[in-house]
Amino acid sequence: MTKTNLSTKQENTWCPGCTNFLILEAVKKALSKTIEKGTKQEEIAMVTGIGCHAKIFDYLNISGIYGLHGRVLPTALGIKLGNPNLTVLGFAGDGDTYAEGMAHFIHAGRYNSDMTLIVHNNQAFSLTTGQATPVSQEHYVNKAEPLGEFNHPLNPIKLALCSGASFVARCNAKDIEHTSQIIEKAIEHNGFSFVEIIQNCLIFNKEMNELDNLFYKIENKENKKTELKEAIKLSDKWDYNSNTEKIPIGIFYSQEKPTLEEKWPQLSKLKNKKISWKDLKNN
Amino acid sequence: MKLHILIGGKAGQGINKVSEIVSEILVSQGYFIFNYRDYPSLVRGGHNFNILGVSDKRIGSIESVLDIIICLDDKTLNIHKKQLKKDGIVISYEGFENLGRNLNIALAGCLIKILGIDKEILIKQIKKEFDNIETINSAEKGYQSQEKKFDLKKLNNKIQIMSGSTAVAKGAVNSGINLYLAYPMTPATGVMNELAKNQIKNNLMVFQPENEIAVVNAGLGASFSGAKVMVGTSGGGFDLMTEGLSLQGISEIPLVVYLASRPGPGTGVPTYSTQADLNIALKAGHGEFPRIVIAPGDPIEAIEKTNEAFYLSEKFNALSIILSDKHLAESEFSSDRKPNKIIPGNINRKIPGKEIVKASSYEHDEFGNTTESPEITKKNAELRLENYEKIKKETEKFEMIKIFGNKKSKNLIIGWGSTKTVILDAIEELDCKFLQVLYLKPMSNKIKKELENSNKVILVEQNLTGQLGRLIREKTGIKIENRILKYDSCPFNSDKLKKEIEERLK
Repeated sequence: MTKTNLSTKQENTWCPGCTNFLILEAVKKALSKTIEKGTKQEEIAMVTGIGCHAKIFDYLNISGIYGLHGRVLPTALGIKLGNPNLTVLGFAGDGDTYAEGMAHFIHAGRYNSDMTLIVHNNQAFSLTTGQATPVSQEHYVNKAEPLGEFNHPLNPIKLALCSGASFVARCNAKDIEHTSQIIEKAIEHNGFSFVEIIQNCLIFNKEMNELDNLFYKIENKENKKTELKEAIKLSDKWDYNSNTEKIPIGIFYSQEKPTLEEKWPQLSKLKNKKISWKDLKNN
Repeated sequence: MKLHILIGGKAGQGINKVSEIVSEILVSQGYFIFNYRDYPSLVRGGHNFNILGVSDKRIGSIESVLDIIICLDDKTLNIHKKQLKKDGIVISYEGFENLGRNLNIALAGCLIKILGIDKEILIKQIKKEFDNIETINSAEKGYQSQEKKFDLKKLNNKIQIMSGSTAVAKGAVNSGINLYLAYPMTPATGVMNELAKNQIKNNLMVFQPENEIAVVNAGLGASFSGAKVMVGTSGGGFDLMTEGLSLQGISEIPLVVYLASRPGPGTGVPTYSTQADLNIALKAGHGEFPRIVIAPGDPIEAIEKTNEAFYLSEKFNALSIILSDKHLAESEFSSDRKPNKIIPGNINRKIPGKEIVKASSYEHDEFGNTTESPEITKKNAELRLENYEKIKKETEKFEMIKIFGNKKSKNLIIGWGSTKTVILDAIEELDCKFLQVLYLKPMSNKIKKELENSNKVILVEQNLTGQLGRLIREKTGIKIENRILKYDSCPFNSDKLKKEIEERLK
């Protein structure tokens, strides 16, 4: 059940049938659950990058910054530094995160600030008409690269695991129920959570749209979720290049460790007393 | 009475400690000091020197000639002996080689004796900083080894020493700063270190993100969620922050930026000084949006102007840039003037947590949602301009310019930022009026009148192209032909500047 007050009156400009509609639905479901469990709607804030994914900013009735391309993570970190009591979600694209904003992605794991990053991964820069991102498959022909993309894609799940992210998951945009459950858990996780949602683009890089039969849910016996080595091994199952190999979805890794908000005495004071910086001066 | 003392040696030998001890003692005796720090970009070795100016009156510059040279190594005398006056004094490390790390303390002791200050005052100062008998003995050994050459009697002035960095930090604390974000870069790092030192006591946080792009975006994020934020950097880092300045322009999230210049382009001459970044402070960031650019000329002004920057940013949801440079940031100035009363700047805007609030990098409607409507786009652009008009009006409450010297004089010197104190020293005996520009944006309307009322106008800047001159021409239509520009990355010497001004006034 999605609560209506999470919606806005803004006209939706995603392409008809875009999988972003499904992600929006999953996000609303997860946020409704978060709100049901006691977080006030006003206490949730989002940051979006620039790209198709980012239009979600206009369709969600929560606070936030429609930030700059590539800068979702530092902006979200700032929001946490300004008020660690907020529940912060970042929405970013694959080009956004793995190209323009790569430095921030690596450091987010290291900081382990208590926030959730959701990457809408359609393996292309779609809003700028389909150029290759760092996760596009080899030989992907696009307007900017008529000779095809020469580079092998990088593996963001593996990179996140190696960078110290304390919660790492992958979802299939078309599985709304599963995606919303994972997002809910990511929000609940105390620390930096990275959720990558593999999605289709109906207009560009359609080659990578035929993955539906490849997705399978990670089972407990396959991964204890607290063993980094196992998670890394699992992350190698799909290299983002193949459209024939099986693609695990679900939680690769979830292991709590001290968060940025717990390590800095100033921030933990704000959190423990549930106050803002302004109130701290009078305390 | 005026003395200029050079203290030179290798990086790591404790030259700054000598300046610090001597300065503290002199100020306690009622003397004004000015300490210039000259060092290359290395950590140990090389040749570093400080020049300490001492006077019974206000002093804010160095001169090209020296009264005393203190050498912690041979190189110092070789390089600087040509600057020493005929009857100048050399205090050498020779005879103190066996003191090891306390060599600098012994030489400080020598100088105190030469200046004719009591031994007890020296020992008291050493004990304040060191709980070590060897250090105290070294100071005493130095003191005993010299003859008294001057007689600095105690004066009644109440003076405090401060660097520009300390002052900007103090201004930020006075303004209720919660968060300072910066990536290390000389000469801005002084503010980071200063704020970090007492962050718990002052209820604030100093955080160093992965780069300046993260700094500025995190700064805006934190300001959005209700913190009072300042970010700091020098030219290269400021270039990286540019996209964030533009984001500030459209999202209207208050932001204070501290920009401490050093010579560019590129990595330039990283540990020296320039005033070449006025243009980027005024213009950096795409699109058209309001901003405030303020350049204090000494630490007391840095305290005041930092406070004004915070106040204006918060009141008008605007970008304030505090423009400084290596010379102001890292030199130690002394003053007997107390800063103006603190202006409080409360956060009255909507912040998340209590209500739903949206800020956007896109053109947006009243709810913060994206729009491409030409009507709203036009209206928002006009609102930004209107906001700037309001800022302009508000800044008139503050000292946007200052006039010094002979106020009736028809000879006008114009300058800004860290050249203030050297200009004051240079024109002391000249028939000159000095117009200091503190607000570069908005700019005071009074500047035009001052120019029109003067017969001779001389522009003094530490850059190649006279950036303030060009700005004044843009605002007033008046071109200042007579320019004294220095762009060798070293500060003006007041004696040379005085001669140059005299030449131009003939």
